[in-house]
Amino acid sequence: MDKKIAILAIIVAAIVVVAGIAAILLTRGGEKEDTVYYTTMAPSLMDTWLAANQSSGYIAWEPFASSAVVAGTGRVLLWSDEIMPNHPCCVVVVSNSFLAQDFGGGKTGKNLTTNFLRAHMDATLWINDALAHKDGSNYSKLINMAAAFTQRSSAVVEEAFKHVRYDYGMNASFRAALAEFTEMYMSYSLVTNETLSGLGYSSVEDFVSKYADGTYLGAAGSVTETPTILNPATPIRLGYLGGDLHQVAQIVALNETYFEGTSMFEKYGLNVKANTPYLNGNAEMAGFKNGEVDVGYLGAPPAILKRLNEAIGTTIVAQANIEGSGLVVSASSDVESLHDLVGKIVATPGEASIQHLLLKIALSKEGIAFLKG
Amino acid sequence: MRARADLTGRLLRVLRQNLPRYVLGAVAVIAFIALWAFVSWYLQDTGSPKAIYVPSPARVADAFFGSFSLLPGLEEITMWDLISSSLGRVLLGYAIALVIGFPAGLLMGSYWSADALGRPILEMFRPIPPLAWVPVFVFVFGALWGPVGIVFLGAFFPILINVMFGVKSVDPSLVDAARTLGARRRDIFVKVTMPTTIPYLMTGLKVGIGIAWMCIVAAEAIGLRGGAGLGYYISLSSLQFGLWPQTYATMIVIGILSMVTTGLASLLEQRFYKWSGMK
Repeated sequence: MDKKIAILAIIVAAIVVVAGIAAILLTRGGEKEDTVYYTTMAPSLMDTWLAANQSSGYIAWEPFASSAVVAGTGRVLLWSDEIMPNHPCCVVVVSNSFLAQDFGGGKTGKNLTTNFLRAHMDATLWINDALAHKDGSNYSKLINMAAAFTQRSSAVVEEAFKHVRYDYGMNASFRAALAEFTEMYMSYSLVTNETLSGLGYSSVEDFVSKYADGTYLGAAGSVTETPTILNPATPIRLGYLGGDLHQVAQIVALNETYFEGTSMFEKYGLNVKANTPYLNGNAEMAGFKNGEVDVGYLGAPPAILKRLNEAIGTTIVAQANIEGSGLVVSASSDVESLHDLVGKIVATPGEASIQHLLLKIALSKEGIAFLKG
Repeated sequence: MRARADLTGRLLRVLRQNLPRYVLGAVAVIAFIALWAFVSWYLQDTGSPKAIYVPSPARVADAFFGSFSLLPGLEEITMWDLISSSLGRVLLGYAIALVIGFPAGLLMGSYWSADALGRPILEMFRPIPPLAWVPVFVFVFGALWGPVGIVFLGAFFPILINVMFGVKSVDPSLVDAARTLGARRRDIFVKVTMPTTIPYLMTGLKVGIGIAWMCIVAAEAIGLRGGAGLGYYISLSSLQFGLWPQTYATMIVIGILSMVTTGLASLLEQRFYKWSGMK
């Protein structure tokens, strides 16, 4: 009998010890001074998460910032342009094997890329013009297209458009920002000098100047409309992220209904076929690697990081948008500054995302650390 | 002095007896690493785009040893922190599985009514992979307890089922004999059923801890609190960073931890058998 009781006692003691160790391991360290903690998740989950009090805030791209504002659950504490004015965000990336592809009739992937960028430019200008004339018919067409694409209400889309700027140019500040992001990756050991030199780049500047190639954009201005399709049999496979308002230029350029039956891509002789949307930039880069994508819209950070660490043969040929991300806090909270977030949890789309890097920059300016919670 | 000589002698004997086993084991491990090195070299050599996904053993070893002082992409966190956070989650989930699974198994094994009540639910939920519960658990139980709950689910069923099976395999003639000798129901439960069940519980514990580790990657997939863990870093280093050597290094750590904890559980099992005189 004693032995049986001893067995039971041992089992109970073992459970207590195991649970005790576990509790210590999970709560170890406690909270550090002047630190904001983060957790990572898909932006589509962030407003639910905030509403469930699982986080005190989140940083995400549009429409995921404005959706919480319109729903009344969140308010924006800080827009990304307040952290870094004119910061790059989504870019147009082309596969190097597509550039080298021969389409017959003396046309290569390079010519098609130039034509593609002409349509991208037209679409971007059309969007900016539509946004500048809110009483015009183009504005409501744009809102319709964007609402259908993002699966959000017109109210959310209209709010979100106020905070995104559309621009295709790749100027010096664009390149400087790409270099800054790459340097940040290097400081976290995500990219090493060996990686750069292994791919034939002598420095970060060298990498950025070669990776962001302005040649095609430069030539795009002189592309003229053509009645013949250059690639009737082999459509350009277009990659993009599902519901990302930053990439609305490709939706406009693909649209036939609002443009008298001829899309902007068709106007410049291109047969473009959109892939099923990718969940995030990393997945789209995997699509490039697997040869599923010829031209794609995605965030600059995955385009940089995956290009380097997985040696994916791609080139950045244009910008898609600048700015357009926001740090959202609960509408009912008393958070008024970044310091009010100390000791709290903020959700980001991931350690390598532009939103994560921007928030990190903003916090470090205030002397606040940003660590995994 | 003599005791120590005895111990050394015994150890040597055990070593000698098991030598062929150790040698064969080592041969298999070396052969595996050689095959891995060959595949990695072959992909690299043929310029395959998949080469990046199979880094060489040497690069993985570099990443493995380096990770204990610096983890790319996570500030102020090393492999030790990943281990302690994941270990915490695994142990906590496991302890809860034990606390609930053991009595539940005893009840379901002992009483037909408990069995009738629990069986349909058990059979329905057992085949659902813990992975399927991740979104629900993380949102319902939150970022701290959700992942622990996933581990709990993984460890719970093997413990419950083994204990239940243990109770059912009690020799009826023993129960009859005890009853003839005037034992009451409670006595039979404590003196006959429980001791027979312990070895089965031990098996359940051993299987449970292995499955608990298998769940950690899924458990740490979304919305995590309580520190970055091994599972978190596996998806981070591969999908987001493209640092595949780090991914493999973290996978190896999970393998080692699972091996060590399962080994401990099985050591405990043998000690228990010996001590309680059941084997």
